[in-house]
Amino acid sequence: MNEMAQTARTNAVQNASREKIAVRGLSFYYGGSRALKDINLSFSENKVTALIGPSGCGKSTFLRVLNRMYDLYPNQRAEGEVLLDGENILDAKLDLNLLRSRVGMVFQKPTPFPMSIYDNIAFGIKLYEKLSKSELDGRVESALRRSALWDEVKDKLAASGLSLSGGQQQRLCIARTIAIKPEVILFDEPCSALDPISTSKIEELIDELTDDYTIVIVTHSMQQAARVSEYTAFMYLGELIEFDDTSKVFTSPREKRTQDYITGRFG
Amino acid sequence: MRGRLAPRALPSSRLMRVRESSVADISIPIAQARLSNEVVSRARALRGLIFRDRIFRIVTRAAAALVLALLGGVILSLAWGSAPTIRTFGLSFLITEVWNPVTDEYGAFAPICGTLITAFLAMIIAVPIGIGIAIFLTELCPQPLRRPIGIAIELLAGIPSIIYGIWGLFVFAPFLQAYVQPALINASQPIPILSTLFAGPPYGIGMLTAGIILAIMVLPFITSISRDVFETVPSVLKESAYGIGCTTWEVVRSVVLPYTRVGVIGGGMLGLGRALGETMATTFVIGNAHKISASILAPGTTISATIANEFTEAVGDLYTSALITLGLILFVITFFVLVAARLLLMRLDRKAG
Repeated sequence: MNEMAQTARTNAVQNASREKIAVRGLSFYYGGSRALKDINLSFSENKVTALIGPSGCGKSTFLRVLNRMYDLYPNQRAEGEVLLDGENILDAKLDLNLLRSRVGMVFQKPTPFPMSIYDNIAFGIKLYEKLSKSELDGRVESALRRSALWDEVKDKLAASGLSLSGGQQQRLCIARTIAIKPEVILFDEPCSALDPISTSKIEELIDELTDDYTIVIVTHSMQQAARVSEYTAFMYLGELIEFDDTSKVFTSPREKRTQDYITGRFG
Repeated sequence: MRGRLAPRALPSSRLMRVRESSVADISIPIAQARLSNEVVSRARALRGLIFRDRIFRIVTRAAAALVLALLGGVILSLAWGSAPTIRTFGLSFLITEVWNPVTDEYGAFAPICGTLITAFLAMIIAVPIGIGIAIFLTELCPQPLRRPIGIAIELLAGIPSIIYGIWGLFVFAPFLQAYVQPALINASQPIPILSTLFAGPPYGIGMLTAGIILAIMVLPFITSISRDVFETVPSVLKESAYGIGCTTWEVVRSVVLPYTRVGVIGGGMLGLGRALGETMATTFVIGNAHKISASILAPGTTISATIANEFTEAVGDLYTSALITLGLILFVITFFVLVAARLLLMRLDRKAG
């Protein structure tokens, strides 16, 4: 099984444009329990990689390693290597704020900050850049246009971010994330709290974002993985079971467990 | 009501009995008669319950009315008691500094100023420190230390005010007098406004000392309320702020504090309410001088300290009435603080949308 997975991985890497993030021998621990077991895989630049698997398989944990979000909590630690453009982000001396500006994250539930729509976007930009009012306005507008929200909010930029609908809030969070020009965007089940129309808007958006960003998306919806991603990784009980082109994973999976999961036999 | 009773009105044993008897007595009309008997007894049971429910309603309503009656009674008796003062001095009572029981001349200006100044000093000191402690406890403190520090703060709230009073008088005031106040006076000498604010001999006791003691006393309130509301911030919200690269300070300033400002202001107002009304500790350390001084090192008095100090000696009608009027004024001040807090919160709410 390992050899086959190895070949699959190599194939996937060969087909890839360029590897943006390389994960080598990654294990993750919550206190004493091991949540990720020796993960090896790489994320290709400007592609969408979907992480699928049943609840508790470590998808979200894996995602939270990629921007060191786990670092906020005690008793959580990662071993191995995660190379972002060749630099190991698990290095203790790494500047976390800088890392998180390069690896943005969109969460399961929309989390607008308690401030106006404009400030929700401008806040992140102002952390890194000193811009004039007009430049800042331009950046806010382009982030909102990019996330297909501009037409809906341009007349009420001063309104609270919390006054928007769920789908709009999620697009606001995406706008906030892309406003600071990250290189990688992590999506942690971005549509699980949204209705189908908002979901399809977000999916379209993810598709457009691949021009500029490397995207990793955790999803419970296999249809969503199939729709938006170029590569799919199937995880089970903390292990990476299969990683390949999305079309291969969904049409001719190598592993029985993958097949069982995508055909709905468990999970 | 009927919904609540339905299960009890049809206990299975009784139903069984009805069924058994309807099987035993072959003629069906008799069974029906028994059923309607059941309905009658059920209705009787219901009537009893309705009666009990009515009593219950009356009792709770009376309890609520009691609060209003007490509040009204306090206001009325304060107004009644202060009538002589108001008749004698009119509104000038509020802005007269003289307080002379010998000549029967009274003015509330000094205690009012003292109350406001000490409470203000207390808030200046306690609000930043309290919020700071709360931020440390929720965002930065290592897990094993959280509980001990939290408990220590709650214990601080449990110390009776008389203990703060004697500690303030015998320990803290001499300490301030020996080390802090001389340094303050010397350091502020060349600076125009500060030199007036920190002028005069170091008495040890005075407005500043009272303000600091009050700050210590309200600190636990502000800290524990702030900590509680900070803990209500959803961790995903904080994570998303960290996720765009914020430092802890930026997360606190731009996410945690705006998200919780209503609660934090509420905690501050609760602290202010306590600082305005606190009696025992202030009485010990404020110096009880009926005069207004530009220096916060000078002794002064507060409304509650004046009342506590002088109610035993108040022999004349006018003297007693003047003290009661002070009470009325304190009542009005705290009332307005609460109203101001409400208005502030309402405005903030509107702004946040």
